[in-house]
Amino acid sequence: MSDFNRRELLQMTAAGALAVGAGARPALAADYKPMFDVEKGASLQLLRWTGFIDQDDKQWKINTDAFTKATGVPVTIQEVSWTEIQAKSGLAAQIGSGPDVIMGFYDDPFIYPDKLVDVSDVCEYLEKKYGGFYDVAKSYGYDTENKRWIGLPMGGPGAAVTYRESWLKEAGFDSFPKDFDGLLKAARALKKINHPIGLALGHAVGDGNTWCHTLLWGFGGKQVDEDNKVAIDSKETREALKYAKALYETMIPGTASWLDVNNNQAFLAGQISMTINGISIWYTAKQKFPDMFPDIRTAPQPIGPVGHATNFNLFSQSFIFKYSKYPNAAKEYLRFMCEREQMDPWVTGMVGYVTPALKGYADLPIWTKAPEITPYRDVLKDNHPDGFAGTPGRAAATALNDFVIVNMFADACAHGSSPEDAAKSAAAKLKSIYGS
Amino acid sequence: MDRRAGWRLWLPLGLMLLFLLLPFYWMVLTSLKDRTELLNTPNPWWVFHPSINSFVDLLTQTQYPRWFLNTLYVSVGATALSIVVSYCAAFAIVRLKFKGARALSTAIFFSYVVPPAILFIPLAEVLVKLGWFNHLWALIPIYATFLVPFCTWLLIGFLRSIPRELEEAALVDGASWPRIMIKVILPLSVPGLISATIFSFTLSWNEYLYALIYMFSSDNKTITVGLTTELMRGDVFQWGQLMAGSLLGTLPVVLVYFFFVEYYVAGMSGALKD
Repeated sequence: MSDFNRRELLQMTAAGALAVGAGARPALAADYKPMFDVEKGASLQLLRWTGFIDQDDKQWKINTDAFTKATGVPVTIQEVSWTEIQAKSGLAAQIGSGPDVIMGFYDDPFIYPDKLVDVSDVCEYLEKKYGGFYDVAKSYGYDTENKRWIGLPMGGPGAAVTYRESWLKEAGFDSFPKDFDGLLKAARALKKINHPIGLALGHAVGDGNTWCHTLLWGFGGKQVDEDNKVAIDSKETREALKYAKALYETMIPGTASWLDVNNNQAFLAGQISMTINGISIWYTAKQKFPDMFPDIRTAPQPIGPVGHATNFNLFSQSFIFKYSKYPNAAKEYLRFMCEREQMDPWVTGMVGYVTPALKGYADLPIWTKAPEITPYRDVLKDNHPDGFAGTPGRAAATALNDFVIVNMFADACAHGSSPEDAAKSAAAKLKSIYGS
Repeated sequence: MDRRAGWRLWLPLGLMLLFLLLPFYWMVLTSLKDRTELLNTPNPWWVFHPSINSFVDLLTQTQYPRWFLNTLYVSVGATALSIVVSYCAAFAIVRLKFKGARALSTAIFFSYVVPPAILFIPLAEVLVKLGWFNHLWALIPIYATFLVPFCTWLLIGFLRSIPRELEEAALVDGASWPRIMIKVILPLSVPGLISATIFSFTLSWNEYLYALIYMFSSDNKTITVGLTTELMRGDVFQWGQLMAGSLLGTLPVVLVYFFFVEYYVAGMSGALKD
């Protein structure tokens, strides 16, 4: 068990805060050389999602204050629930007014690419300095058609297996299985000792999509092919659905209606032995459930027959609308926030909840501070974007918003459809979305 | 009342009470549970170790008092504005006999049934042009856009139930229309106005979409927006604080209904006579 305790966490966060906000930062302000010619009298409005962990917001604000101190550009931050970002950014795009910078999710920039500022210069600078972006980050930010970056990839609140070590051992497993077969065996064994697993199969934007896509891709299935032609009704998809049905039978009853919050609650209530989630369960247990905390472990998601990880995670990127009066200030702000001096305390403060999109940040000390944090470091390595293997855009975003993949799995697992019927039904829905 | 008649009365009333009060009971229970009992309890319908920590945390660790004051400011302002405008509109439609008055009253009511989800984009364009985005006071005229139609319709019904002879007598005595409106009809309209006030206040207090979309800074959050953005963090919900906040948030509305329910019923029955 790690010796990483709350005191250390607070010390690290406080150290980051001090370094950025109070003591060390004025030196940076004195030497500050902006990359962009910041407009005179500039002020910015940022719309972002409420942090999944409170230290996220706090550290982001500290970093933002440091930016204001260094550049004189005030930044107003608005936070809304992550599921409401799209509505607000859509409105801004529609009326041509609103926040200068938005931290959105998934394909958001590809819904209104023409309305966004080209951020290629910032992205290329950061790529060069920090070892490049993960592939999935590129697919969410780079407009291949026009060969320009329309969104600056920030990172992904990653998903990994969270489980109870003692129960897994009681079920006969020394460590968490690394492949789908092992996962099914462990799930069956855990059910036998009355500690079932639980994975969200309702319209859970994060947790439902995560494991369903991972299973689908792990068997080689895909929503559409490289030409955006619907390819869901395949042998691979049906195999994934058969496997999911078998896995579902080992779960605690009721998961078909679970949302993102439910698996957290069930785990912390001791009702389930394993789930797939962000680090929030571990973090919450650390703060509030000291009896359970020492027994909680995390592990990378198991690998399917394709032989490599097929992760799907939430992903956030920032974009600037063309209506902004201060595009240079906005670009400077994003660059500043992605520099190591800011990124390190931000990621450390939220205990690695968001895995940065830049590969260079895989060496941050927080990733090895506790073994339970380490799996989240690598979640973006083998991560496909939604709509894989097609291109991101309105159709992929619609399919994700409509939970087409999750619904297909729910149909096969909980609603009595055969794998064949569930795949056919999903194909019909996707054809209406993609028009092919 | 014989035994059978008693059952006929109390059984449906009891079921109705159960249906209406259950959410409040659940809110009270959840707000008084500590975090362990929230997740694991032998009987979810009871609190074994009551605690006020959720209330204390809500009031000391969040900006709830600010959200509360914002909501109060907007609700009172929107209600006052809507009642004044609606009363004037209703009086004109009912008492000043002009062509198309009835069609106008129907049109006003129909404008109420257009859902806010359809209106919010065109309304946003108007707000941008006026420079009203992210001003808390701007929610007052914005809320009036959906409050005025219903209140006007409600007051039209109520004003129609007031005998015309009163204003005719006032006219004979030489009173002007504004004087009649304020001195003669207004005092008689109090039940209808209270009914419209309660309705407006409740709708404003609970409004979510416009407050979420049109306000930008954290200082301008209302209770509904504050609770969902600050206490629902991704996949971790602060259930205790959420329920404590919801419970405290219902108190003003409960108090308003408690003191004015009789006027509310009178006002509604006046409207329904229309």
